[in-house]
Amino acid sequence: MPNTRRSRSPLASIGLHGTLLIATVVAVFPALWVLLTSLKPAKFATTTDFFHDTTLANYTHLLGDTKFLTWFGNSVIVAATTTVIGVFLAATTGYAVSRFRFPGMRPLMWVLLITQMFPMAILIVPLYNLFSSMGLLNQPVGLVITYLTIAVPFCAWMMKGFFDAIPVEIDESGRVDGLNPFGTFWRLILPLARPGLAVTGFYSFITAWGEVAYASAFMVGEDNMTLAGGLQTFVNQYTAQWGPMTAASVLIAVPAVIVFVLVQRHLVTGMTAGATKG
Amino acid sequence: MRRGIAATALVASLALAATACGGDTTDESGAKGGKSGGELAGTVTWWDTSTVGSEDKVFKALAEGFEKEHPKVKVNYVNVPFADAQNKFKNAASSGSGAPDVIRSEVAWTPDFASLGYLAPLDGTAALDKEDDYLKQAAASTKYDGKTFGVPQVIDSVGIFYNKKLLKEAGVEVPKTLDELTEAAKVIKSKTGKAALYLRGDDAYWFLSFLYGEGGDMINTKDKSVTIDDKPAIDAFKAVKELVDSKAAVTDATNGWDNMQKAIKDGEVAMAINGPWAVTDTLAGDAFKDKANFGVAPVPAGSKTAGSPQGGHNYAVYAGSKNLDASYEFVKYMSSAKVQAEVTEKLSLLPTRASVYGEPKVAENEIVQFFKPVVETAVERPWVPEGGSLFAPLQTQYTKVLTGQATPEQAAKSTGDSYRKLLKDYK
Amino acid sequence: MAVHTGPSVAKAPGKATVPGPRRPARTRESGVRRALSTHWYAWTMVAPVVIVLAIIVGYPLGRGIWLSLTDATEANVERTIGVNHIPATYEFTGLQNYVDAFGDPVFLQRLVWTIVWTVACVSITYSLGLALATLLNRQVAGRGFYRMALVVPWAIPGFVSVFSWNFLYNEKHGLLNKILVGGGIDAVPWLNDPTIAKLSVIAVNVWLGVPFMMVALLGGLQSIPGDLYEAAEMDGASAWQRFRHITLPGLRPVSTTVILLSTIWTFNMFPVIFLLTRGGPGDATEILVTQAFRMTFVDSPRNFSTSATWGVIILLLLLVFAFFYRRVLKKQGEVW
Repeated sequence: MPNTRRSRSPLASIGLHGTLLIATVVAVFPALWVLLTSLKPAKFATTTDFFHDTTLANYTHLLGDTKFLTWFGNSVIVAATTTVIGVFLAATTGYAVSRFRFPGMRPLMWVLLITQMFPMAILIVPLYNLFSSMGLLNQPVGLVITYLTIAVPFCAWMMKGFFDAIPVEIDESGRVDGLNPFGTFWRLILPLARPGLAVTGFYSFITAWGEVAYASAFMVGEDNMTLAGGLQTFVNQYTAQWGPMTAASVLIAVPAVIVFVLVQRHLVTGMTAGATKG
Repeated sequence: MRRGIAATALVASLALAATACGGDTTDESGAKGGKSGGELAGTVTWWDTSTVGSEDKVFKALAEGFEKEHPKVKVNYVNVPFADAQNKFKNAASSGSGAPDVIRSEVAWTPDFASLGYLAPLDGTAALDKEDDYLKQAAASTKYDGKTFGVPQVIDSVGIFYNKKLLKEAGVEVPKTLDELTEAAKVIKSKTGKAALYLRGDDAYWFLSFLYGEGGDMINTKDKSVTIDDKPAIDAFKAVKELVDSKAAVTDATNGWDNMQKAIKDGEVAMAINGPWAVTDTLAGDAFKDKANFGVAPVPAGSKTAGSPQGGHNYAVYAGSKNLDASYEFVKYMSSAKVQAEVTEKLSLLPTRASVYGEPKVAENEIVQFFKPVVETAVERPWVPEGGSLFAPLQTQYTKVLTGQATPEQAAKSTGDSYRKLLKDYK
Repeated sequence: MAVHTGPSVAKAPGKATVPGPRRPARTRESGVRRALSTHWYAWTMVAPVVIVLAIIVGYPLGRGIWLSLTDATEANVERTIGVNHIPATYEFTGLQNYVDAFGDPVFLQRLVWTIVWTVACVSITYSLGLALATLLNRQVAGRGFYRMALVVPWAIPGFVSVFSWNFLYNEKHGLLNKILVGGGIDAVPWLNDPTIAKLSVIAVNVWLGVPFMMVALLGGLQSIPGDLYEAAEMDGASAWQRFRHITLPGLRPVSTTVILLSTIWTFNMFPVIFLLTRGGPGDATEILVTQAFRMTFVDSPRNFSTSATWGVIILLLLLVFAFFYRRVLKKQGEVW
């Protein structure tokens, strides 16, 4: 570490904390403001007071009058499945690319990058037709597959970097012990890759949890909606409902934040390796 | 009646066979599953696009009422947000799976869907019942290529919503022309400190009454010409720009709906242009706690005339429905005078049948009283398949004029160019 | 897939020493077998991803490229309506769509703004991310708290964040303007003035992107050995010199990756633009992707061929960028 506390003047200290505090306020405030607004009665949604007749009315309205809980459940299913499968696929792919020099590896790396380049917005119609012919419309499976294609390429890249940072000697010791490549991967390497897996899981979860365009294109009917799609009913052209919207936003953000808190201590280590060697 | 259905089903399938070459043979049973033992059966899926939270409950209950008349039919009510419905229907209808049997189709969507072959022609089917009873303007949007592809559900247009108290404080009458509006705005501003009009700047639909007021239109379907770059349209662009520049009107280039509703509901503006669909929401505002404070008048006239765009919704039947007979019957039921009267009574939406206006409950409805004259003089929009797409380029240019990014002349020319690209055979 | 390997392993031994180039069929076949035997586990591990990507991205991408060479619209593509099948009637038009796109002033306008938007977003995001990472890399009380708070924008689903910004930006009722007006300053038309709207959307995208940047760079900083700094300090290097000659080079591997990814993501950042302004006011903030989306979903009949053309052009632009980016890195001795 370059600068240690002993060498910092009080002025520098104030400057440092001041800068970080301002940055923190900017980072947190929009979300915090939504939270505060959601606790005001709907008709005072646009007041500047931080608190104004604090009430949970927006939440009770939301939970009572809409299928919010159904949507919530659908989202949990989709996001959890995406996360589990996504982490697994990203890990196997990342490991293969990291450890083996096999024909097709370089093209695969390019393909993973290219999938990030083609604008997904344009893929909606052909994907719709594809899912329609495979009978995957209006099914959580269809969404899971779609989200995997968004999340896995980046995650696999990141995992490759992470595996690169794990010494090859560990693989070799596995081979000496008579483990096949899968055994080595599963028993020796994966446990060491936990921070990387945490980041991958976080990224997959966030991708699946917050996606709107595909969810509202592929799913129809209140019972099948995910949270993001269901929320469309709040931004319907002919209703101005800031109160319930803010409450809904809070309820959507909470699970994501929980997942974030669970993995956040791994974030820096996990991402570093991924990005350094990516 | 049953014979009628059988015959019309035949007509419909012939019509379909004529437009399509061959077909796959899947689902023979489903295709004819509409009747068992002479009675309607099966499921009818209806995509409704009405506003969730208020309108949807009424329509759901009414739709399920169909099950009472036809116990073997199951009505599957699905509410699809209005903003998504057109795209969702197109996706589903073209891919051959996931489409509903019946859709609430906005007037501009109907010719669009019909031209793509997604809708079943309804002439001679049970769906088209007592056709003479429908208001002429309402029925116009259901025709495409000489056939009928929809049954009018509701009709609407826009007028001026006004805050009686604010106008009274200022001592002005509801303005009948744009000049009066500009004059009144000064008085309103000086006496009450409020702006006169909220003008939605992010949706070209709100521009149409000004366009009509100057004697213009988007296109002329009779001689197939684009008229949006003619002088009246340029005048209309100038007129709205003038309203905003003179502070007679306040506007936004984004979030127009939310801001407009908030402004009129909180009494921050004296007037706003809006339609029957917004009445319930507007009356919930603080400014209209006393409902008597709420008034509706025709839109102010431009230099030539006064005119407001005609809108509304139709029921349309998906051509690929596996249950056409029940769907036709469902449409007939939903558009019957009895159901229409109930819709009006509960939601104050304007019926499309002349006879319904005679019902005491409808006749006494204040909103209907406000809007009936407006609707009767409403200007019909061009019912061409591209009708809905005419708004996007116009909206871009309209907003550009209001935000000073384009002059009225540039805006008119640019919109005209886009129209000629969209409408290949127009001059 | 693993099933194939048993026999091929059995038959392959001994030949491994003869890697002949271009041999007759028999040898080539055994070459395939040998490849299978050596690489089967690698291929097995990547197979699920390859298969899913081939179907879900490959097919629509291939179709998109094909459609971009035709005049396909919603009205002339193949449709199945119930039992009726309408065959495709669109025609092959070669490169006409591409010629049209590059001759279209709208396309060029969007392209210019998309590039400005991408460069602005990525450079600002990178600078801020680096600055915050550097601060967080020091020993500072409450580091854990700051780090967690600063990553919040990343943890919240994108559309919720964009909604909250929309709410703050609202010209008449948003908090930002209420504070400004309260302080006697005129309300700012955050999303209603073309120039300010451009700045506003960039600000939101930067806000969304900084946490990712910061976390990645923080990791990068932590991987730079501390003794390098100590040695430099002994030699009397100033803070700036240390930053310039140790920190920046040490961060190169991380930086190159995050800048590449960030560029790709920003170039195609649909949700921020679409949910904040829908491309408005007018078309001031419309980027290539939102415009292509408009052609598929707003125009009727939907213009599949033109929007596919724009999609392919976007892909090509990014590919060219990635290619040269990599070339430059390679020249400078980076291995990627």
